[in-house]
Amino acid sequence: MAHSLEFKNIGKLYPGVKALDDISFRTEGGKVLALMGENGAGKSTLLKILAGDIKQSEGIYLLDGKEQDFKNPHEAILAGVSVIYQERQMIPALSVAENIYAGFLPKKGGGIDRKTLYANAQKIIDKFGLHMDAHTKVARLSVAYQQMVEIMKAYSRNPTVICFDEPTASLSDAEISALFRIISELKEEGKIILYVSHRMAEIFQVADSIVVLKDGKYVTSMDVADASEEKLIRAMVGRDIGDTYANLKRNDKYGDVVLEVKNLNNAKVHDVSLTIRRGEVVGLAGLVGAGRTELVRAIFAADKVTSGEIILDGQPVHFKSPHDAIKAGIALCPEDRKEQGLVLFRSIRENTTMPVLSELKKGAFLDKKKEKEIAQEAIEKYDIRTDTMEKLTTQLSGGNQQKVILGRWTNSLMKTKLLILDEPTKGIDVGTKAEIYQMVCDIASQGIGVIFISSETPEVIGVADTIYVMHNGRITGQLKREEATEEKILALAMD
Amino acid sequence: MKSSLFKRVLRSKLLPLVAVTVVVVAFFGITTNGFLSASNLRSIMISMCLSGMIGVGMSMLLISGEIDLASGYEACMGGIITALLIKAGIPWPAALLITIAAGAVMGGILAFLVNKVGLMGFISSMAMISVYNGLDYIVTKAQDVTITAEHASFYSLGAGTVGFLPIPFIIMVVLMIIYGLILYKTEFGRTIYMTGGNRAAARLAGVNRKKITSILYINNSAICALAGSLVAARMHCANAAACTSGSIDAITAAVLGGVSFRGGDGNMGCLFIGVALVTFFNSGLTASGLQSYWQIVVQGLLLVVALCIDFVNERSRQKALSQVAI
Repeated sequence: MAHSLEFKNIGKLYPGVKALDDISFRTEGGKVLALMGENGAGKSTLLKILAGDIKQSEGIYLLDGKEQDFKNPHEAILAGVSVIYQERQMIPALSVAENIYAGFLPKKGGGIDRKTLYANAQKIIDKFGLHMDAHTKVARLSVAYQQMVEIMKAYSRNPTVICFDEPTASLSDAEISALFRIISELKEEGKIILYVSHRMAEIFQVADSIVVLKDGKYVTSMDVADASEEKLIRAMVGRDIGDTYANLKRNDKYGDVVLEVKNLNNAKVHDVSLTIRRGEVVGLAGLVGAGRTELVRAIFAADKVTSGEIILDGQPVHFKSPHDAIKAGIALCPEDRKEQGLVLFRSIRENTTMPVLSELKKGAFLDKKKEKEIAQEAIEKYDIRTDTMEKLTTQLSGGNQQKVILGRWTNSLMKTKLLILDEPTKGIDVGTKAEIYQMVCDIASQGIGVIFISSETPEVIGVADTIYVMHNGRITGQLKREEATEEKILALAMD
Repeated sequence: MKSSLFKRVLRSKLLPLVAVTVVVVAFFGITTNGFLSASNLRSIMISMCLSGMIGVGMSMLLISGEIDLASGYEACMGGIITALLIKAGIPWPAALLITIAAGAVMGGILAFLVNKVGLMGFISSMAMISVYNGLDYIVTKAQDVTITAEHASFYSLGAGTVGFLPIPFIIMVVLMIIYGLILYKTEFGRTIYMTGGNRAAARLAGVNRKKITSILYINNSAICALAGSLVAARMHCANAAACTSGSIDAITAAVLGGVSFRGGDGNMGCLFIGVALVTFFNSGLTASGLQSYWQIVVQGLLLVVALCIDFVNERSRQKALSQVAI
């Protein structure tokens, strides 16, 4: 008999917020059910309840017809529920095999049966068709491969239910297709699969049916065969977005060259040259690990440069630290908002004004009134949804967090000439993504040169005026938006 | 405006601590004799000063995400240097300045180890404990360095009073106010919080962490040396064992008061309440006749409690973090 999973009237109350409200649906083995919804729709909360991580306030869930009540994640794992979260939970200093079997290591005598451990791990790796040695330390794997280890870890416990929470957020296209091959094998084994993602194209590729949540409530469910992008977006946001990219008000007036990079080299970047004019949006496309982040970090002096020239406004520059780069007018919104972008337990105000504090002085002290004006300016300019600028940035949604960082780098005291955006829409819902695209175009209209990095190829094509494609630390091609297609970019990215 | 201040006080984590302090004071006030007498209160104020002053520099370090475990030993060294200089006939104001400069050098060594060599502050300061402690014994030949009565004008720094208030207490409060203002009102103070809150993000926003933490290490050791001198002034002598509990006392007080052990949070108000609570508690134990060795045990347990509270706070923060939807 096929496995089944059913949620009945699940609700979850937090003080003042109803994170989930009367959620009911059912799915069965051999099917991929996609959970969709904007940020804050309640998808992650639902997965956490299923994983035994938090307890629901109302309702029940049944696995194979039996009511379950997991008190902690361990119980859930033993009952056959595995959740693969966005954040990887690996032990970097241990091998792939040890991570796969963490907590369930095969024993022999008093110790660990290493032979069985590595043999079993290698079997799983081979089954997944990955080029990986079970003895490799996880720390030495790329982000994408670490993600694969996480999936193998879940698989090794022989689960009935496997939940993926935004598994492709840090994967490149090639890796995503490997992941989908694995998912289809899991399907054939009759597993129940829940799949959370923001990426529309993926859902059509991988899912059999779709459940849409909005603001913690069940909106609708449909078979993929009956679904269309427009239909889903309408269900998720309650309105039509139309063709986001076609509606962008772009900047078409370019100024002088603001940044020229000549033959730049370091450990991860090889012989890179590019130019950016004022008002131009330059996209960097490529697979994860192609060296895009490393390139912009080198320009920003966050990483070392071994040779090559960086010319800003016609003057060669040699920055010693990000501080120097910022003073010269370069700004970077890093890839990882939470780890590198924001000081999460400080307010919107403090996060916004961080680089311009020296301009906010009245005598020895900070001019709080002027500081508040700067923060207010950012809140209004980017429509940051908050009741007060004193709110901690950890309490904001991903989209609003990104807006705080945009506000930081484009406030009226900053003399930003070049704004670098590294994966600015990662983990952000469709509605806010569209807002951010327009903000990028508006920033360019002010005569700021923009570097826009994204792993979602359609996004790069849609937003950037000029696209450079990278592979293995080198630039492999340059395209104008009009001539760019996903196929051309992918071909250059895989070289 | 008023109501928001009132709300902030209500929501502040200081309130429960003030309540606990009041309970502690009331408990010992009732159960022991003379706990609330003017002379005992004054001696409590004086004994707040060592951990309070070290706490000032230490809190700044903690908020920035650093720590100096050798602070007490730097204070000890400061007391010895002052006593030796005064003994050698140097006027005490000059001796005090030289001591503070010597403290700055000790801080400079740590700053070098942490920011140039790249060691962790925790470990390098632990190593320095041994270095300073050994040097203290060598320099003093394990004897008291006495400050004789001809230098009695120096004594008032340690135990003199202005009105009801002891001079060292006033110095401590003034330091807390100055550093409180630095933290709350200046660019430097803001960058301390940002660095402690998220090192990588602060760096990418142009904050120079190494410069900030170097200044804070030097600042801390200089204050420690001064604190040690005041203790020497009070005791009329200095020796290698005088201030050694200073680091643990200061860390306990700061963390108990709500200065985060993991950086990014806390202020001088937290520190003051923490110091007051710890000192009242210790003094109460003495008044109730508990053997002094047991007090050392209790002191350690108090730090464990403080760290537990800090840990629970941190966990609820992390939980708050994980509850934010993607």
